[in-house]
Amino acid sequence: MSIRILAVLAGALAALATAASAEEHAASGNAKAGQQEYLAIGCWECHGSEGQGGAITGPRLAQTKMPYEAFLQQLREPVNAMPPYEPKILSDADAANIYAFLKSLPASPSAKDIPLLND
Amino acid sequence: MSKRPEATGVGRRNFLKAATLAGAAATVATPLKAVAQGQAHPPKKAKAPQGVSAAQKAAETQNLPAAAAHLIEQTSGSDYMVDAFKSLGIEYIAAMPGSSFRGLQESFINYGKNKDPEWLTCLHEEISVAMAQGYAKVEGKPILNLVHATVGLQHASMAVYNAYCDRVPICMVTANIADATMRRPGVETDHTVQDGPVIVRDYTKWDDSPASLQHFGESTIRSYQIAMTPPMGPVILVADSALQEDPIPEDAKLSLPKLPRFAAAQGDVGAVAEVAKMLVEAENPLIMADRGVPGPNGVMPHLVELAEVLQCSVVDIGGRMNFPNQHPLNQSSRRGGVLSQADVVLGLDMVDFWGVTHRYRDQLHRTSSPALKPGTKTVSISSFDQFIHSNYQNFQRFEAVDLEVSGDGAATLPSLIEAVKKLVTADKKSAYEGRGKKLAQARQQAYERAKAEAASGWDIQPISTARLTMEVWNQIKNEDYSLAVATQPAGYWSHHLWKMDKAHHYLGDSGAYGVGYGGGGAVGAALANRKHGRLTVAIIGDGDLMVSPSSLWTAAKHKIPILMVVHNNRFYFQEVMHLQAMANRHMRDPRTAHIGTEIAHPDIDFAKMAQSFGVHAEGPVTDPAKLGAALQRAVAVVKRGEPALVDVVSQGR
Repeated sequence: MSIRILAVLAGALAALATAASAEEHAASGNAKAGQQEYLAIGCWECHGSEGQGGAITGPRLAQTKMPYEAFLQQLREPVNAMPPYEPKILSDADAANIYAFLKSLPASPSAKDIPLLND
Repeated sequence: MSKRPEATGVGRRNFLKAATLAGAAATVATPLKAVAQGQAHPPKKAKAPQGVSAAQKAAETQNLPAAAAHLIEQTSGSDYMVDAFKSLGIEYIAAMPGSSFRGLQESFINYGKNKDPEWLTCLHEEISVAMAQGYAKVEGKPILNLVHATVGLQHASMAVYNAYCDRVPICMVTANIADATMRRPGVETDHTVQDGPVIVRDYTKWDDSPASLQHFGESTIRSYQIAMTPPMGPVILVADSALQEDPIPEDAKLSLPKLPRFAAAQGDVGAVAEVAKMLVEAENPLIMADRGVPGPNGVMPHLVELAEVLQCSVVDIGGRMNFPNQHPLNQSSRRGGVLSQADVVLGLDMVDFWGVTHRYRDQLHRTSSPALKPGTKTVSISSFDQFIHSNYQNFQRFEAVDLEVSGDGAATLPSLIEAVKKLVTADKKSAYEGRGKKLAQARQQAYERAKAEAASGWDIQPISTARLTMEVWNQIKNEDYSLAVATQPAGYWSHHLWKMDKAHHYLGDSGAYGVGYGGGGAVGAALANRKHGRLTVAIIGDGDLMVSPSSLWTAAKHKIPILMVVHNNRFYFQEVMHLQAMANRHMRDPRTAHIGTEIAHPDIDFAKMAQSFGVHAEGPVTDPAKLGAALQRAVAVVKRGEPALVDVVSQGR
C-alpha cells in the first residue's frame, strides 16, 4: 500500500471520526438550553422563534434534516448572507444544544389541513 | 420700535389698484370674474368674490372710515390661485396649517367653498405628502399639498423623496416672503428663505417661484403637466405672501391656460420592431415589470395580452401591481430559476435592472454574480432616463442592456403587442403553447410550496406573519379590496397566496424605503378608494406607524375608511438583523443587538393610541385563534365608513 493511499485512508478515518464526534456532540445537546441560546443569539430573527422559517430571511429549521456536521459548517462558514458564528460567540456545545432544540420541535402542520390555505 | 408698514399707509398694498381678471379659460371651474379693488380705493360697483353678496360687501366697505379701508380688500391674489388649482380638477388638499400660506388657505376654504379641493387636516407634513403619494397610486393623479415655508418643507422632504423614487406625481405649494421689508420680525423671518425649494430640488422634477399672479397661474398648469408626464414625480411652487395676500392689481389681465391632455412618450417604432423580433424568436423570453405609471392606467392589461401571445414568463418586481399574481405565466416566485433560463429579458420601467439580474452576497467581502446565463439578450423599455438627477443614487447601478428603448412601458406595449402578433406563425404558436403549459405547472408547484411554507408555525405565538396575512385575506377576499401598504413579509405572503388581478389590489412600496410612509400612504390610498367603495387595508410595521401615528387621526377626522393591521414585532426588525450581523462579523456578542432596535419595554399599546384618536381599535392580539374575530369586527367598522386598527403581536419575519 502506497503512502499516498495510506494518507487518503487516514484522512477518511479522521473525517469519519470528526463526523462521529460531531453526531455524538449533537446527541448530547440540551434542547432547553438550546432554545434559550437560539433566542439569545438571534437565530430566531431569520428562522422564527419556533424554527418555522422566515418568508424571505431564512428556511425552516424545525426538525431539520441537515446532519449536525453540515449544520455546524453552515454556522461557522455560511454559504449565503447568513452571519458567521465563530466559536468565540457560539461554542460547539451551544451549537449542539441549538441543534437538539431544533430536532425537538414539532412537525409542521399540513397546508391541506388548514382551511384558510385552501379557500 | 419700528412701525408696521401698513400703519404708515405706504405699504405695498397702496401701490395696488383695482384689476380685472380677463380671459379666464373655459377649463376654469369657477372663473374669477370680480373686479378687484386695491384696499386704498374701495370699489363702489365691484362684484364681490363668490360666497359674499355684492350688496353686503359694498355696504361693508362704503360705511368704513378711511383708516379701516386700509385693512380690508375685496379680493386677493390667493383667490386667483384657488381658481388655478380648481381648473386642474384636484379633489383634495392634504396639509398641516402654516401661517405662510394663510391667505391661500382662507381662500380655499371661503372663496373656494372648501370643495374640489377639500381641505384635509394633517398633523405633519410628512404625512400629508405621503397621503398624496398613496392617493396618486390609486388614481394616477395628484392631490395638492400645502407645506409651510422652510420648516414645513423640511418636514415634508423625506416623503417627497419617497414619491420621487416611486415615480408618483405630487403637487406641492410652499410659501415665502421674498421682500425682507415686509416680513414680521421673529418667527415669520425665521420662516422665510432665499430659495425655498432648494432643499427638495434634488428629488423634484420642477419648481418655480412666480413673481406675478399670471406667472403663478401658468406655472400651476405647467407644474401639473410636468408632474403627470412619465416618469412622473413631485413638483413644487412657491406662493409668495405678497401675491397671496395683496389685492389683484388693477391693471392685471389674468387668465388661466387650459390643461392639456397628456400622451406619454412611446418607444421608437424601429426599436419596438426589433424587440418584437427578439421576443418572438427567443426560446425562453422573460418579461419583468416594476414601477411604471401608477393608477388604473398601468401596464397590467397590456402585459397580460403580450405574455399570453408569447406564453412567456413574467416576473412582477412589485413596484406596482403589474401582472395578476395567480396567472399561470406569473413566475415571480421562481425569479432565480426563470432568470437563469432566459435567453431574452425585457424589463419594463425597471428601477434596478442590475440588481434584479445579479445575485448579491452581503458579507465582509461583498460579492456579486450574474443571475443570467452568458449570451442572454437584455432590453429595457423605460422613460426613467428622460428625467434623472445626479446627487441621490436611486438610479441604482448601471446595467448595460443590449437595447435601451426610451419610452413609457404602458404607452409602448400596444405597439409592441401588434408587432409581436405580426411575427407569430402557426408553428411558433404551437411551440408557445407547450412552453406556457410547462410554466403553468411550475407556477402551480411554487404555489403549493408557498402554502406549505405558510403552514409552518401556523399556530405559534407570537403569531406567524403568514397566519396574520391569511387571516386578513379571509376577511377581505370577497370585497373589492386594495392592499395599500404591506410590510414585509406580508407583501410576500399576499403576493403568493392572495388573488390579486387589479392594479389597486396592491399599491407597491414607499419608493425610497423612507420609514414613516405607511400611515400617510395608506390613508391617502383609502381616501382615493373611498369613492370607489373599495375596502382599503394596510399591514403596517410598528416602527413605521410610530413615525406617523397621527395619520390615524386624520382618517378619523375625515371619515376615511381603512383597516390598519399592525405587524407588531416590537423591533426595527431590519435593523436588529443588521446589528446582529455586525456583531457576528466582529466576533462580539450578538446578544446586544436589541439595544437601539427594540421597540418594547414598555410595549406600545397601539389600540389605546388609536382609540385616543377616535379610531376603533383592538389589541394587542397575541392568540392566533382570536385574530380572525378581531379582524371581522374591524372590517365591519370599516364598511361603515370609518377607520379601524388591529394590533397583532407577530413574528419578526
